[in-house]
Amino acid sequence: MNPFWNNIFRDRGYEKSLAYFLSSMPMFKDLEKRELAFLEHIVHVRNYEVNETIFSEGDIGSGMYTIRSGQVQIYTLDEHGLEIDQAILGAGDFFGEIALTASRPRCASARATETTVLIGLFRTDLLEAVRRSPAPSAKIMLGLNRVVSDRLLQCSCQLEEVKEQLADNQKQHTNE
Amino acid sequence: MNSQGEMSRAQVAVLYLVLTMAIASGIAIYSSASIITELLKIATTDLFLPILISLIAYFLLDPAVYFFQGEKISRTMSIFIVYFLLFSTIFLLLMIIGPPNWEGMLQALKADFPRYIRHAIEYLTALLKTAQEHFPIISNYNIADHVGAAAQSFFALILKETPHSAMRIGSLLLLVPLFSFFFLRDSRRIMRGLISLTPNRYFEMVLDIYAHVSWQLAHFIRGRILEALIIGVVIWMGLSLTDIRYAPILAIIAGVTNLVPYIGPLIGMIPGLVIALVDLGVGGEFWWILCVYVLIAQVIIDNFILIPILISKVSNLHPLGVILAIVMGGKLYGVVGMIIGVPIVSILNIFIIEIRHNRRNFNPYNRYFTNRGKLL
Repeated sequence: MNPFWNNIFRDRGYEKSLAYFLSSMPMFKDLEKRELAFLEHIVHVRNYEVNETIFSEGDIGSGMYTIRSGQVQIYTLDEHGLEIDQAILGAGDFFGEIALTASRPRCASARATETTVLIGLFRTDLLEAVRRSPAPSAKIMLGLNRVVSDRLLQCSCQLEEVKEQLADNQKQHTNE
Repeated sequence: MNSQGEMSRAQVAVLYLVLTMAIASGIAIYSSASIITELLKIATTDLFLPILISLIAYFLLDPAVYFFQGEKISRTMSIFIVYFLLFSTIFLLLMIIGPPNWEGMLQALKADFPRYIRHAIEYLTALLKTAQEHFPIISNYNIADHVGAAAQSFFALILKETPHSAMRIGSLLLLVPLFSFFFLRDSRRIMRGLISLTPNRYFEMVLDIYAHVSWQLAHFIRGRILEALIIGVVIWMGLSLTDIRYAPILAIIAGVTNLVPYIGPLIGMIPGLVIALVDLGVGGEFWWILCVYVLIAQVIIDNFILIPILISKVSNLHPLGVILAIVMGGKLYGVVGMIIGVPIVSILNIFIIEIRHNRRNFNPYNRYFTNRGKLL
């Protein structure tokens, strides 16, 4: 396209805004603009340096994080204190959503491997939002619920596959 | 070259220089800090009371603002609605009942006060005489003079402060609605901004502690103020049934002193009982007034109804802490210190409990241990 015809007057700020980023997340994709603006006031934007610990295994967690930019390493420690990588997450991924429902100890540690911007959604803020304006909060909660249940579904499917494989293996063993 | 352990001339000179500079900069920092605190003190002298009252108003009005706030009504609009309703209610009440005759009542009290004191002292002296007959040890102790002197100085203070406080009330009427408006509208944004300053490592913990502390604080302040208000109204109604004078002033005294636990109610009932004793004598009405103060207001309303509903959700102070807070507050700021000492110590108490609750995350060495406590 000829750059002359580019619409330079179109408002392109929105695509860089926090609300636009949130609307691209799977759990918040059904939210309307007003509800996104509401969500924008609940979340916290946090900046992390390279190699900065986000949380450690065993900390009392209080919420989930979404990666806006950068990279996060999720790891656990074995009994010798050696790190076992669990996952490397990039922009658009989220982690720590279990702590959103109850203050449980974190089951893994997270560390920023690049300069990272995280968007935190925390239990206390969500509870206050439920008290103040139940309708948008319910929609946010439903979105979170959908994501968590999708994960559960996927997990149970994989479990089913593993079970079948195990049964096949045992059959082969008995046949031999 | 010098031997080991001894310093060369240059090194000694450098050491002296460094030490001198350290001392000098210490003195400079100290003096500038004290100047700055002095300036801050001067700048904030008259702001303490308005900010305190606006904070209290904020905690009281916040639920009402939430009630009106919704999809269609913004927070600012909701605050204006609450203000409008509040002021129109006060205005209507004043129109219907008519303002109590404060001016006349104060003038009459000014005239009557010495009489009450005299009677109280006479009564005390009589009491002391009978006591001295039974316990000769205390014969040297002249309690009447003490009480008389204290009452006189207190009364002189009131006379001196009245015109002064009239001006102060005028400024309060202007400042408190303004301050509490901004507290109501922006407190969330301000607190979020402050919390976001905490380092990443402690952010979650600070957020949790803030949520708990603010919840406890709101309930504590709301509960205490409502309790004092209800007690004041109950005592006003109870006293209005008798012929006692100054019922509104006595009710205000009872309500305000009720903010101080344990000791406050006892002090709050003394003026009422003295006036009843002097004006009405020991009779049916005196016993009714005593009954209103002790049985109805304190035992039934306060202990059986208000404290279980309003205060019990909040972690309470140990009685020893309450008494220490009252004594220390009184030493620092007099009567005002006695009243606000207990809430301030309760706030500190809430802070300490919450931080102890979260101390697992507070431990900076936490990351070097597994959750089984072994060193990594």
